[in-house]
Formats: sequence, structure tokens, C-alpha cells
Amino acid sequence: MWADPLGQAIGIRPPRLCLCKGAVKFSMNREPTNVAGGGAYSISRRRLLQLLGSTGLAALASSCTRVNPAAGILASPTNLARFPEKTEMILLTDRPPQLETPIHYFRQDLTPNEAFFVRWHLEGIPTSVDLRTFRINVSGHVRRPLQLSVDELRSQFEPISIVAVNQCSGNSRSFFEPRVPGGQWKHGAVGNAKWTGVSVKSILDRAQVKPGAVDVSFNGLDAPPLPSVSDFVKALSIDHARDGEVMIACAMNDQPLPMVNGFPLRLVVPGWYGTYWVKALSDVTVLPQPFSNFWTDKAYRIPNAPNGTESPKDLAKDTVPINKFNVRSIFVRPDPDEVLHVGMPTEIEGIAFDSGYGIRRVEVSTDGGATWADARLDPEIGKYSWRRWRASWTPTNRGQYRLMARATNAAGDTQSKEQWNRSGFMWNVIQQVDVKVG
Amino acid sequence: MTPKTKSTILSLGLAALLAGCGHPSNISKDTDRITNAKMESMLDSNTDSPVHTIVMPHDEPAFSPGPGRDEFVTACVVCHSPRYITMQPRFSRTTWLSEVNKMKDVYGAHISDEQVLRITDYLVSINGKAGTGQGPKGTYGE
Repeated sequence: MWADPLGQAIGIRPPRLCLCKGAVKFSMNREPTNVAGGGAYSISRRRLLQLLGSTGLAALASSCTRVNPAAGILASPTNLARFPEKTEMILLTDRPPQLETPIHYFRQDLTPNEAFFVRWHLEGIPTSVDLRTFRINVSGHVRRPLQLSVDELRSQFEPISIVAVNQCSGNSRSFFEPRVPGGQWKHGAVGNAKWTGVSVKSILDRAQVKPGAVDVSFNGLDAPPLPSVSDFVKALSIDHARDGEVMIACAMNDQPLPMVNGFPLRLVVPGWYGTYWVKALSDVTVLPQPFSNFWTDKAYRIPNAPNGTESPKDLAKDTVPINKFNVRSIFVRPDPDEVLHVGMPTEIEGIAFDSGYGIRRVEVSTDGGATWADARLDPEIGKYSWRRWRASWTPTNRGQYRLMARATNAAGDTQSKEQWNRSGFMWNVIQQVDVKVG
Repeated sequence: MTPKTKSTILSLGLAALLAGCGHPSNISKDTDRITNAKMESMLDSNTDSPVHTIVMPHDEPAFSPGPGRDEFVTACVVCHSPRYITMQPRFSRTTWLSEVNKMKDVYGAHISDEQVLRITDYLVSINGKAGTGQGPKGTYGE
């Protein structure tokens, strides 16, 4: 039955597994079959054949959910994995994919596209987009609904660029105590990139928003695996959407977005958590009433309290949708397992960011918080970018040292000493890095 | 996979899950891990093409024996890989039960109350915390 692996892959399975929205195919499973059919077929066929020639059987073996009692389900969750257009990243989950950036990439001001973190909610993620037929639809409470190709978006509107941090709401979730369910990220569900595209304002102006608009919702090409599951749609207020900074990006660090980071278009909401940065953006809908769905009403909510904090023993009843970043910093040097030496100058380095006020001060402690000294700040790249900080330290004695860093922004906000909420959001506790001086 | 599991899947209208994998036991089990770098070569690198396509790698799930395994395989893995369980810390039964109920009541998993308990049994058996201590109740899938 394996004589024609391509036939197996393409002829039999896809029709039932691909939900197609116009030009786009979805991965409702996770094997080579979804490249088949439509415009994608002729391009991918040769490559698929090449691959199937060498690893085809293995790939096809993957095509179903197979029970294998011999293998352990508790494989290490920190495996490195390589996804299309991505480098090796820390694997949280494979389907839908959640991939974390190894910290050393944050030694670069702009996070490489291939290393930028990935987080999807629904299994049906887009795996093929035909730019000849893809359109972004602008509709709802507007006088002139628009359907724009990526080329029209690029050529008919004034391009803007902004360097901005995108951070997952649950970045660093694994550090909360007591532990909370959810993606068990360490500090790598964040990245900084130069986003280029057009402002949502310019699109909405072209579409002529009618009086009385309240919210604007944003939907992407991802689709629920079952009809009973809520589609992932997010919304911003009309004023926020029209602030001139919220943008639809068609490039990331001057390159097309990787598919798993939202090709061809992604919403960029500077200073706000990644849940609003809808990937593979296909629908912008202006609403004359407040937007309401599961992903806003039930999910991605924080206690309506300073820094979104609550007690495990007394959960907040009043909650609000998560919104702007708080202030935080992350060490990028030294490596935790790096052995330092007495009398040897050591460069300590990290990044700090907030929601756009700008980082004004970072203090570093090498004695577990007993004393603090100002770090040097690199020049500001942009108010939504992270800012690099550095400190030099020459250890004078052998032993264990606890390094800490505390960032403060222009509004005077600084980092938490302790923090907890049931969803594991907005972690910004002052980081501690224990190092050994040998 | 037991006949019972198959019939349950079919009854849920998820026959597609089984399509094309009638003889999986012929296949090597260790060559198709997600870290297989050869998957990368499947990326369509023709940047001039108007059609952009990727092929997602696939991590072959494997399921330890345990109570409720069939229910877990049938009802949960259709929407997400088992890594959604295995990446979590060891949670109490309270927390796992809350997670499974969330999947049923909020995310729309097609499972009965009886299956909720069976699936919880399985999650506790593979990634549970000893004792019945209280743990945090989960929130929504973020």
C-alpha cells in the first residue's frame, strides 16, 4: 500500500481534513497531506515527492492518532523542535504549536524571525496561503467595505514601521507559585521586531467608519477543530484601533512573516499583550456595539487590581480583559550555568520593556537584593521596543551569588516583588539568577 | 486501538481522524519525532511564488496505559496533542478535573459527565500529584 506514498498522502485524506476559507488551507491534522490541492499543489508536489522518497513512510506514519503503549507519554516538554521557517526552539506543544525562544536570542536587539516565539490557540492553523486570491476584508459598520490583497495594502496606503515587543500574556507562567495550568513558558514567550505595514486607521478611513462605532474585531485564518469551539477573534475599542499605531504588518524585520507567526498579515498592537496581535489576519469588522465572545468575556482576563494580582485563597470577582504590558526585565547574560571567576570582570546584560512610557532606569544587585547599582542603558530604539541594559561586575570572592535586576519606567512603575493570579498572566517579578564564582 | 475506541470516534463524527491510517503498525515508531530536521526541507522556499505553503511536522503521540486512556485518546487528542497535558506540572485531581470540565463546558469538547471523570482519572494517573490536596482551579486556556 506504500507503493505510491504521494497518492496516499494526497489522494485519500485531505478532502475531509482541510477546511478551506477561500484561498487558504488549514492544517486540521499535521502531516504532509495538506499541501495538496489547489494552487499549492503544483509547487509543493516535487518537494513532497523528494521528502517522501526519503522519509515518506515515517511522515505517513504520522498521519493518524495512533496508540503506542510502548512509548512514554511524559517525554520531556523542553525538547527543541524545528518547525517550518523556524530554527530550533523550545517545544511546549506541537499541535497547535507553541514554541519558545531560547534566551540567547535576546542578546540581539531584534529577535530573528526564525526564532520568534509561536503561540496558536486552535488546531486549524493556516498552512498555505495563495496571495493571488487572499483578501483582507474590512466590513461591518462602515460605508465602504473593502477587500484588499496584500499588494493593494502595500501599494495603496502609506507604509509605517515600528519596533515593538510582542509578549505572550502567559510569558513566564511556569514561575508562578502555586503553579497554574496553561502554557508552561519560561521567559522566552517574547520577542522584539521591526514591524512594517499600514495603520489600521488608514484602512478604516478608507472604509469610512459610520458614526456610532464602538469596537473593531479582528479575526484570522485559524479555525476551530470542532464547530462547538469558539473561533479566535479579538477586539479593540474604535479609538484604540484608530490611534495610528495599531497596524497591520506585512513584514517583520523587513521579511515576510513566517507562516507560524501570522503570514501574510498580522495585527500589531504596540505595548499590549500578544493575545491581541491576531495572526493571519483576514477580517476587520467595525461594530456599533461592544464586542463579546469567549476569548474576551471568559479568557484572557486579569483581576481588576494593581498588576493583575490576586490571592489563591481569595480569587478576585472583578476581572477585566488583559491589556497593556507591565514593566519587566529579563537577564540575557551570564548564562545560568556559566561559572564566573574571582577577579575576572563579568558583563551582566539584559533587556527591559514596558507598554510605551519607556525604560528610564535599571538597577542590578549582585548580592540578592541587599544593595543595588544602576545599570547602563543602551540608546532607546523606540518607545515600544525593549531597551538593553548592561552592568560590569568583578566578583571578589568565591561562592554562590544571586543576581537581580529591577527596571523602572518613565511613569515611575517598577517590578513586583511577588505576584500571583489564577491564569499566570503578566509575570513581572524581579528576576533572580543564581551564579557560581569559582 | 480497541474496537470500542473506534466506534466511539465514529459516533462522534470524527471518522476523518482514522482515514489513511489503517496500517500504522507497519511503520517505525522512532523516526518521525518532531525534531526530525528533514521536515524543514519540506518548506516551500520559492519566494517568488504567490502560493506560500508549509508542512507542519508531527509529533507522534504515544499514550501510557492507564484508566480512561481510551476516552482521552478519543475526546482530547482530536483537538490538541497530549503535550498539552505533559507540559504541565503535576497537578492535583481538583485541578485536572477543573481543566477537563473547562474543556467540556467552555471549549465545547464532546464528552459526557462520565467521560469527564474517566479522562480526569487518566490525567491524574499520568501527571497527577499524590494526595487529594487542593490545587488552583484552571482558567481559560491561555
